Amino acid sequence: MANYQAMTQEWLEAWKQKIAGSKEYQEIAKNWEGSVSIIVNPDPERGIPEAIYLFTDYWHGEVRDFLICDKAKAETAKFVMSGDYVRWKQVAKKEVDSTKALMQGKLKLKGDLTYVVRNIKTVNKVIDLLCEIDTVWPDGP
Amino acid sequence: MAYDRDLSFVYFGPTKVVFGAGCAGDVGVEAAGLGCRKALVVTDPGVMQAGLAGTVVKALGERCVGLFSDVSQDTGMGVVNRAAAYARAQGADCVVSVGGGSVIDTAKGVCILLTEGGGLENFEGIQLLTRPQTPHIVIPTTAGTGSEVTSMAVILDERKGQKILIVEHFNTPRIALLDPRMTEKLPPLLTASTGMDAMTHAIEALQSVQREPVADGLALHAIRLLHRHLPRCIESGADLAARGQVQIAALMAGWAFGNAMVGLAHAMAHSLGAVARVPHGIANGILLPHVMSFNLAEAAEGYAMVAEALGTPEGGKGGQEAARSAVTEIAAFLGRIGHPLRLSAAGVKEDDLEKAAALSLSDGAIVNNPRPILAVDEVLDLYRRAF
Repeated sequence: MANYQAMTQEWLEAWKQKIAGSKEYQEIAKNWEGSVSIIVNPDPERGIPEAIYLFTDYWHGEVRDFLICDKAKAETAKFVMSGDYVRWKQVAKKEVDSTKALMQGKLKLKGDLTYVVRNIKTVNKVIDLLCEIDTVWPDGP
Repeated sequence: MAYDRDLSFVYFGPTKVVFGAGCAGDVGVEAAGLGCRKALVVTDPGVMQAGLAGTVVKALGERCVGLFSDVSQDTGMGVVNRAAAYARAQGADCVVSVGGGSVIDTAKGVCILLTEGGGLENFEGIQLLTRPQTPHIVIPTTAGTGSEVTSMAVILDERKGQKILIVEHFNTPRIALLDPRMTEKLPPLLTASTGMDAMTHAIEALQSVQREPVADGLALHAIRLLHRHLPRCIESGADLAARGQVQIAALMAGWAFGNAMVGLAHAMAHSLGAVARVPHGIANGILLPHVMSFNLAEAAEGYAMVAEALGTPEGGKGGQEAARSAVTEIAAFLGRIGHPLRLSAAGVKEDDLEKAAALSLSDGAIVNNPRPILAVDEVLDLYRRAF
């Protein structure tokens, strides 16, 4: 199986294909509408010299754009989530639950929490599928 | 649910607590200590009528630049925006809230808008803020909400007809002044229902998927204090010793759920508040034993600890038997303190239940419930059992 450098377009594409290929996702996410941006704060010591902006878009069980983008594009998303690289890595490796991370101030969310909660199975499934990708992290395992 | 090698948590509780009969009179000194010169007092008409806000205004003296008393039960974004506009016009540099949960949460919203500008609808989210907000001193006049020490505010979004949760560590109140005299005149029903709000905070923190040992310790002592002293407050409102212990219990339960979060009872109570305007404490109290029964298998360990704190004969034995005894004792306790036992007695119409059940599924508290909610019918069934 191929390995993907985290937070690159190839990595995003692999994640998108994982989601698109999941029948379970298509069923769970049939009510989800809208985009989610992920902002990774700079962390030069861990190989992130400047912020990284990821834009992912979902529509009723389908996946649309998955892009590395700029700040302006990221801020157009329905939901904008931001946090430090180490936190995102913990979420992507399922070492930290994303909801718990939000409540503890490890991640930030701009957007309608009630919508996220109503669709929490969709959120968890997307993260589960991310965990299935063989990811190479800038600072190692 | 037991703590294991993977235990990992953040405990956050930065609020200074001042306790004692008459300590509300120290508000001016405490405000000065925070460097505040222009305090806005936020309260509601009931607190005004009881003369409690006047005491605080007097104690603040020239530091008080205004009084906003137009807060209703289940406060909304519109109220917060109006209060913030008034605060800006007065040049306020700190906020003193005198009241219960709605008043305190309104003041939290005002603190954000005084620092950041704009309207509250721009701050829907979790942990969005990046700097400390306008200082906030809380003087609770009920003993239940715990909002005096939490980072959370529950505000009705009138556009959606749903309460939204705002969680911001940077907006946690700086000081809580717990003055038992401020709760002395609370009528028995309000004493019971706000006390059951605190009890629900403590029990739901102990069953939460985010439970942790610091919060557990706070929750357990809160349960002990409430069980012992809440009936005394209802029998004799002027018993300041008991009033004080219940205030302390509510605060400890606030720290507990502020970190471990709450669960299904709160999700259902928030929704009933939005749909049928049921006071939050009453909804929580009625729903609590039903939700505990629903969660029994998944939360047995936590409920066994609750049973021990409640002093049930089975409490020390642990396991399912002890857990069941906690549910039985909570139901009996409601009766002993004269708390309403059915939603129908609290003004809920049967037609409200379906809408409230649907709304509950999108409440932030539901994700922390130990038993996952798989379908709206599960929530509806619980509402019907409590109806």
